[in-house]
Amino acid sequence: MWAYEDLVVKAVEYGGKIGADYVEARYHRLKRSSIASRNGGVIGAESSVSEGIAVRVLAGGVLGFSSTTILSREGVSKAVEDAFRKARAISGLVKKPVKFSDENLGRATYECVEAVKASEVSVEEKISFMSELWKRVSDAPSDARVATLTSFLRESEEVKIYANSDGAFVRSRIPRLSISYNVVVTLPSKGTIQRFFSHSAVGGYELAEKWRILDYLPEDVKTFEKILKEGKKPPTGKPIDVIVGSEIVGLMVHESCGHPSEADRILGREAAQAGKSFIKPNMIGMRIGSEHATVIDDPTIPGSNGFYLYDDEGVPARARYLYKEGLINEFLHNRWTAEVFGTHSNAAARSAGHWGEPIIRMANTYLKPGDHSFEELLEGVKYGVYIKSYMEWNIDDERWSQRYGGLEAYLIENGELKHLIRNPVLELTTKKFYSSIDAAGKDLRFYAGICGKGEPAQGVPVWFGGPDVRLRNVVLRVTGE
Amino acid sequence: MKEELLSLVNGAVKRAIELGFDEAAVLSVYRESTMVKFANGEPSIVQSWSSNQMSIYVSKEKRLLGTSAPASSLEEAYRMLANLGRISAKMPPSILYAPLPEPRSVEPLSGLVDRKALEAVSDPSQASEVIVEAVQRRDIESFAGMLQISYSVKALATNTGSELAEDSTEVQAYVRAFAGEGSGQWAYGSRTLDLSKLEEMAETASDLAYRSRRQENISPGKYNILLSPMVAGNLLNYVAWMATGSSVLLGQSIFINKKPGDTVASEKLTLMDVPRQPQLPGSTAFDDEGIPTYNKPIIERGYLKTLLHNTKTAAKLGAKSTGNAGLVFPRVWALSVEPGEMSFEELLEETGNGLVVTNNWYTRLQNYVEGIFSTITRDAAFIVKNGEIVGAARKFRIADTLPNLLRNISSLGKELYDIYWWEVEIPTRTPYILAKNIGTSKHTA
Repeated sequence: MWAYEDLVVKAVEYGGKIGADYVEARYHRLKRSSIASRNGGVIGAESSVSEGIAVRVLAGGVLGFSSTTILSREGVSKAVEDAFRKARAISGLVKKPVKFSDENLGRATYECVEAVKASEVSVEEKISFMSELWKRVSDAPSDARVATLTSFLRESEEVKIYANSDGAFVRSRIPRLSISYNVVVTLPSKGTIQRFFSHSAVGGYELAEKWRILDYLPEDVKTFEKILKEGKKPPTGKPIDVIVGSEIVGLMVHESCGHPSEADRILGREAAQAGKSFIKPNMIGMRIGSEHATVIDDPTIPGSNGFYLYDDEGVPARARYLYKEGLINEFLHNRWTAEVFGTHSNAAARSAGHWGEPIIRMANTYLKPGDHSFEELLEGVKYGVYIKSYMEWNIDDERWSQRYGGLEAYLIENGELKHLIRNPVLELTTKKFYSSIDAAGKDLRFYAGICGKGEPAQGVPVWFGGPDVRLRNVVLRVTGE
Repeated sequence: MKEELLSLVNGAVKRAIELGFDEAAVLSVYRESTMVKFANGEPSIVQSWSSNQMSIYVSKEKRLLGTSAPASSLEEAYRMLANLGRISAKMPPSILYAPLPEPRSVEPLSGLVDRKALEAVSDPSQASEVIVEAVQRRDIESFAGMLQISYSVKALATNTGSELAEDSTEVQAYVRAFAGEGSGQWAYGSRTLDLSKLEEMAETASDLAYRSRRQENISPGKYNILLSPMVAGNLLNYVAWMATGSSVLLGQSIFINKKPGDTVASEKLTLMDVPRQPQLPGSTAFDDEGIPTYNKPIIERGYLKTLLHNTKTAAKLGAKSTGNAGLVFPRVWALSVEPGEMSFEELLEETGNGLVVTNNWYTRLQNYVEGIFSTITRDAAFIVKNGEIVGAARKFRIADTLPNLLRNISSLGKELYDIYWWEVEIPTRTPYILAKNIGTSKHTA
């Protein structure tokens, strides 16, 4: 499993020899297999491997990065030379040289072990799962029709060997399983409802059963039919109370706390791509929300989609309290931003593959749960809306103005769920969201995603989550209006 | 390099047939690429890539299987193929199966390689300096951006006898400039390195930033909106992707219930897939099944003209391949919008009272079948009154449906721009496009 370790070590040595001030090398291999199906029929099966060595150097205060899939001494030496030569060539354009913070770096090997290796489960079993899902889902509605159910079952293994000239040496192996689907339910006189969803976590095929998709998706489809038949227009134009489901809360904290807390974004390094941040360097300690607004990003949650113990700069991982009891508390750092801010890295440097430089990323971001049951959250609402799930969403590049189009949502009257409503939109500022939380549920749920950032764009696996929360005095909109 | 790659892909096809597969198509892409990324007015990193990735498509008794790996890990790819071969016996035939096509004569496309671009792959410093200088001609506070220059060689072989190779260069660049409350972003994509085009791109970004440095709020509602080529490119990328046979089959398209000949847009709109336009990245002479490419309208004067197919989606939907094959699903090569006759000033006049949106991001859909979407403005947006720009607007969303947006296109500019960046992943040549009576939205508090 640790083949190419020698090339990684030699790359670091060679970079030092040719004059780089800092050198790191990372062998990064992603092996994936997937089966795709549509309406119970198999489309095909695929296996792929993406592997190579990434080299990053500091030369004349400029970062140089190079990646090669040619896994020989010559190929890797050329990558080191390319990174060094091109960085030095443009060092004349640089005003602020890049420096890294001093850190206690890891020397470790770790591995996540699957209970059931997905590669050892028969293809018949996997196909039978997809066929059974189609059967149950297509049988579920009474009048509506399931026009399409596309499903993908993916298994992957990520192996990394990392070393740098400051002494880090970390080897890791992380397997993941993912099942995603797109279901379209249609009732010609009423329109369509569409739902994309992904499950993904570190582990093996044991997760497929744990996710209980065969049980819940047919029930979801019945609900979608009901939305088409009975969903009414949401109340708009006046402030009401809104219970936001954990699925939306998870995405909201990822987008409006995790992203704006990335120190590279705060410093403008991603300004032309992922954008800037409403958080400025001097805003630690400023109030952003109520006492219920505590947001944590933690790479060390066992089994989580964003799990790691050392980041891609060799720094040991820990939980980061980004917002704490309503205050901006901590940024996500790599060794460069830590040096700029005069602090230590909190191990947020991640790379999606051998072809990507490590940049600041989230891992598993969630709102800290409170003490309310769902019934207690409801009891406190005289007139409002509960939005359980979403489809459309977006946020501006400073992470201030955000919008979520509700999928499954209900009117609440006198503490009770009433009829379904269709296409409500929560469109509010980050401060309004966190300041309006007056109670949080006690059940913490996580959702899987692929977070995009960087150039070339790097998608990394993450979880985001939280409890259901209650917001006071929010004005809703409707999609398409 | 072409000969070397052809030998590699031919060898892989032979090996796949020896492993017991009925059909094989192998595509290998060698790529050398350099990127200079800018932030806070200076380079933040220089990145280089050297890769040779091989993708192998095989079928056995109508079961579709695929693998991809770096060419240096070919033995691993064969091991994966052999394993796929074993498991395929337990799979039912693919619902998308269609035989690989017989080889056809492919007319090579000239002008895909530019010597200046080729040289700049190993030294992008001059082009970088041009961008840094040009963007600072306006009174801006800072800028960020990216310049990427690449050289690629691709080779394809199939067991039916296709043996094709092609090399190309590609330039992609964008700049985002900041001034006061404002920002401006512009992008450029080409097969050739033309420094004057990079200057133009950088100047446009800084000009937009400068002109939007003071902003005011607008009220959400219906507006006439003049979409810049950046915005038109983004939204038409979605429309074109929805026109692929796979998007229709997988339930991700506004064209699911449409057929060629149906009206789907204003008669002003003609949207083409243009793989044989060699100035645009994405251009190519042949697809991943070895079929010659050709330029074709997706939407012609408002009518849905053709969906984009490979042999598999074509067979499933009763059509013919349009030369848009990826190895499994079809792809869009490059887009071109037929220009109108109006100057920018005439478009403003036609807008009357409305908005100009110069850049957007995060286009997301509530429902792909109905095309309900919203997208948020990212950089300069201008307020138009009586045909003249009178100020800049703070961020808001365009929130409507794609079918409505397409139907409400009323005018197009005569000047064309080649756009290629994060939010316009399919290289797109388009003018400014005016759409009337389009919904906008804003946060409520």
